[in-house]
Amino acid sequence: MPPRPSRRRVPPYGFLAAVKGNLGAIAVGLKYFLDPNRFTLHYPREYIRLKPGYRGFIVLNKAKCIMCESCARICPAAAMKMVRFQAPDPRRPGKMKLYKYPVINYQRCIFCGYCVDVCPTEALRHVPAHDVVYYNLEEMDLNLEQFQVEPKSPAEVEGGIPVRYVFDPERGLVKVPEKGQAGGG
Amino acid sequence: MAGVVDTIISWIFWPPLFQLVIAPGLVAALAIVIFILWFERKTAARVQMRVGPYNVSPRLGGALQLIADLIRYSFQEPIIPKTVDTAAFILAPLAMLVISVVPTAAIPVSPLPWTWPIPMEHSLLVALALTTLSPVFLVAAGWASNNKFSVIGSTREAFMVTAYELVFIISLLAVAAPVHSYNLVEIVEAQAGWRMFAILNPLAFLAAFIAILMSTSGFPFEIPESEHEVVAGPFTEYSGLLYGIDMGAAYIKRYVMSVLLTIAFLGGWKPLDPQPGAGLLAGYIAPLVVVLVKATIVMAVMSFFRAVYGRYRLDQAVDLAWRVILPMALAGYALGLIYGYLGVI
Repeated sequence: MPPRPSRRRVPPYGFLAAVKGNLGAIAVGLKYFLDPNRFTLHYPREYIRLKPGYRGFIVLNKAKCIMCESCARICPAAAMKMVRFQAPDPRRPGKMKLYKYPVINYQRCIFCGYCVDVCPTEALRHVPAHDVVYYNLEEMDLNLEQFQVEPKSPAEVEGGIPVRYVFDPERGLVKVPEKGQAGGG
Repeated sequence: MAGVVDTIISWIFWPPLFQLVIAPGLVAALAIVIFILWFERKTAARVQMRVGPYNVSPRLGGALQLIADLIRYSFQEPIIPKTVDTAAFILAPLAMLVISVVPTAAIPVSPLPWTWPIPMEHSLLVALALTTLSPVFLVAAGWASNNKFSVIGSTREAFMVTAYELVFIISLLAVAAPVHSYNLVEIVEAQAGWRMFAILNPLAFLAAFIAILMSTSGFPFEIPESEHEVVAGPFTEYSGLLYGIDMGAAYIKRYVMSVLLTIAFLGGWKPLDPQPGAGLLAGYIAPLVVVLVKATIVMAVMSFFRAVYGRYRLDQAVDLAWRVILPMALAGYALGLIYGYLGVI
């Protein structure tokens, strides 16, 4: 026979304690009702400016790329692929050369940043933006030209106000405008 | 021409029609419920450090959000599952809505006899009896849905009926005792100045207030429709406009009970005192507006509790009702009897 589960007896809650607890709860509610501390981020009108080391979207600088394929090899999600095409070789006039450049598929990318870390010439870099949207899945598979365009945060483009959250000892978390850079980029 | 206008006005303000359909009946109920839903969401958001509905109309603080929701519910496809009892499934919310409004026929909003839809001799009893009808349709809606969550929600509602019904009736009878009458008009006329029954008899007032919260799934007692446990309870299978009606019916019931509470405890139209010769505006509309404003304030306080309280368990709520609230209502009734014996009013 399995042991019976023992039940811890909760001491009875007295009537006066219950009244006091209810009144206290209502008092706390009234306090926040009269003096609210709302820190919702009104996103398109306000945004949090991301730090330089943020692992956001990835941009290719084609001039620096040495076509080593390291990024495509290390990509754990197989999001980075190399495109190959024949083009005239600038050093040997009249001859064609095989070019390979990376392109990214944001359907698969997990933003781990290995490709940026492994790139020997810093041809790949992170952009401090993560709020880019696409209309359909095909658009997320970038081609070479799109991969070189730096994506912008729409909040920043539309003139949102950068804010940041600080901890106030009395009110808890509060939202303050970022100093010196008001108006956004 | 003036005769035609007078005739139309007399048709519109024919008390049985006006009282049930326009104010304090269906139209006023919908308007106030929409305001209260917005207020409830904003209040809960304020207390919980959020903003609440905002983006639909930033300048009005998101006040049009509820209109937008109503439009969305209206154009959403009402899905009727194959397994439900179709007739009961459709009729239960509609009947609940209509039955919720019906008590307004027995609630006077003015002391002048030509504004009463029915004779007011026993109007308190009639109104009380009519408010007790709608849980039947809530249970029917859950049973017709043929879904385990719905049946659990309906069962919880049936348990809650045992908790609040007696409390609500006894606490309102505490008002009838000192006046020696079931006539709501006489009850209001007895509450001149600051001698409101809410102040004279706070026990009965508090018991009636809590009973209203229990009966309309107000927040500490939002047990039949708890979202997290039984997925909106009796309304799990509803969608589209039928769901909107379901949700609105609970709030309309709360509104009608708040009007009854206003009349019985908060002095009804009392700052005003319409004289027998008063016209339509002074004799009917002005007292009506006073009653509606008081009822809206009562509902706003109830909405505020949503931000403060969590949810009781079913057994806790029934336990609270029978061990604390019912003795409180009985004590309030005893106090009313003492007032009646001493002739305080």
